[in-house]
Amino acid sequence: MTTPAMLAGYFTVPLFGAMLCAGPAVTRPAVPFGVRAPADRAAASVIRRERDTYMRYTAAVTACATAAVFLSWGHGSWWLGRIILLLELAAELACYWRAHRRIAEAKRAGRWFAGQRTAVVADTRWRTEPERLPVRWLVPALAVIAATVSLRVAYGPPAARGPAGGLAVVIGQAYVTMLWTQLMLLFHRSRPDLDPADPVSSGQRYRRLLRAYTRALLVMVALVDLTLLLDGCRVWLVARVPPPLVLLPSMAGLLTMIGTALWAGRDRTEAETARLGRARAAGVTAPDDDRWWKGGLIYVHHDDPAIMVPARFGVGWTFNLGNPSAWLAVAGIVAAPIGLALLLR
Amino acid sequence: MLLSIQPDSPVPIYQQIRDRIVEAIAAGELPAGASLPSTRQLAVDLGVNFHTVNKGYDLLRQEGLLRIGRKSGAVVRRDAGSGQADPGWEGDWAARLRTLLAEAIAQGLGPDEIGERGRAAVAGFRMRFEEGA
Repeated sequence: MTTPAMLAGYFTVPLFGAMLCAGPAVTRPAVPFGVRAPADRAAASVIRRERDTYMRYTAAVTACATAAVFLSWGHGSWWLGRIILLLELAAELACYWRAHRRIAEAKRAGRWFAGQRTAVVADTRWRTEPERLPVRWLVPALAVIAATVSLRVAYGPPAARGPAGGLAVVIGQAYVTMLWTQLMLLFHRSRPDLDPADPVSSGQRYRRLLRAYTRALLVMVALVDLTLLLDGCRVWLVARVPPPLVLLPSMAGLLTMIGTALWAGRDRTEAETARLGRARAAGVTAPDDDRWWKGGLIYVHHDDPAIMVPARFGVGWTFNLGNPSAWLAVAGIVAAPIGLALLLR
Repeated sequence: MLLSIQPDSPVPIYQQIRDRIVEAIAAGELPAGASLPSTRQLAVDLGVNFHTVNKGYDLLRQEGLLRIGRKSGAVVRRDAGSGQADPGWEGDWAARLRTLLAEAIAQGLGPDEIGERGRAAVAGFRMRFEEGA
């Protein structure tokens, strides 16, 4: 029988593949494949070549993985979709690593940062007039949780399933909502991605991106909560909800979030590419901070007090693993669902 | 206020932070009573150790330009419109100015050029301050 978990395994393969394939299109031109490039090298031929190769390879990997997952539809357990997804992600990561290494080698050989004037810019208004979390956008998620509690009180789980059967859904919704709210608070406290050659416009773009991203995430959280509610209805036998319908809200939420990230990232990339000429005139660029980025993806900087920083590949944020507070946050994210699962057994 | 530092400069980062804030106060970008980010927040935004920012803020506090409270945080204490400087400040400033002028003379700048540059810098700050007011 096809379950929502099995369906999720099938649909995430083309979705994540397409997302990774589009990564370079929404990555800032100053950090192609996680390598810091000065303004006068952002359009270097090696970067263009590696971007084209990466997009071709990842498109082929996504097509093969999607074909494999749909051919395996109805055969094997729900693990099959997950295994194909893992293989797809590993292959696309290898494509990324190849491009990262080649650009880093060209940068070293060409001494791209020799003679560059570098600067870091902070906008004090970012702290004195901070961007607030749009709390009103949390209302839909809270309303879904309230509806779940009401349904559970009204119908209650069958005695054979025990009280935990109903409680798990509400706890799952609370976990998803609290996790993302906490992460969004960290995004808001993270440093903005300011371009030293164009700090005012890049700051405005960052504010726009953060606003759009936060709202899309809160919509996604409400829709994931709705999926959990529909799954609860199915388990409690309140309604006969077909698995695709259970999954539909989460998929819609994920697509909204990915669409928003792609739109906002594309807006930023286009604006930054357009002003590269001005940056050359100003002669100032961000400092070469590659030594803090492992593979251009993982940030480890012990002297940087930031817990989260803007990610280098695609759109989003990543933890500073050189900060013990970031490890505490990661441990909390991992430990909470394991603890809850053990508690509700 | 946009605070720009150059990590590769021989000038220490705390000194650069202090200098940029003094310039912003002179230009009216940071009037008396304006709040500054906490040391931790500014350290996050610049990607530096928060002791570095603390050192810059402490210099400004000693010079009477910042007030640092437990609840209010770092606030600009005075600007060009706040009247006379604190007693003792002028002596320190004159000593630093003397060294700066000595550098200019040692590097071959004539008295007219030194005077012209000084007037241009003061006029630039005054113009920005009046525009802000």
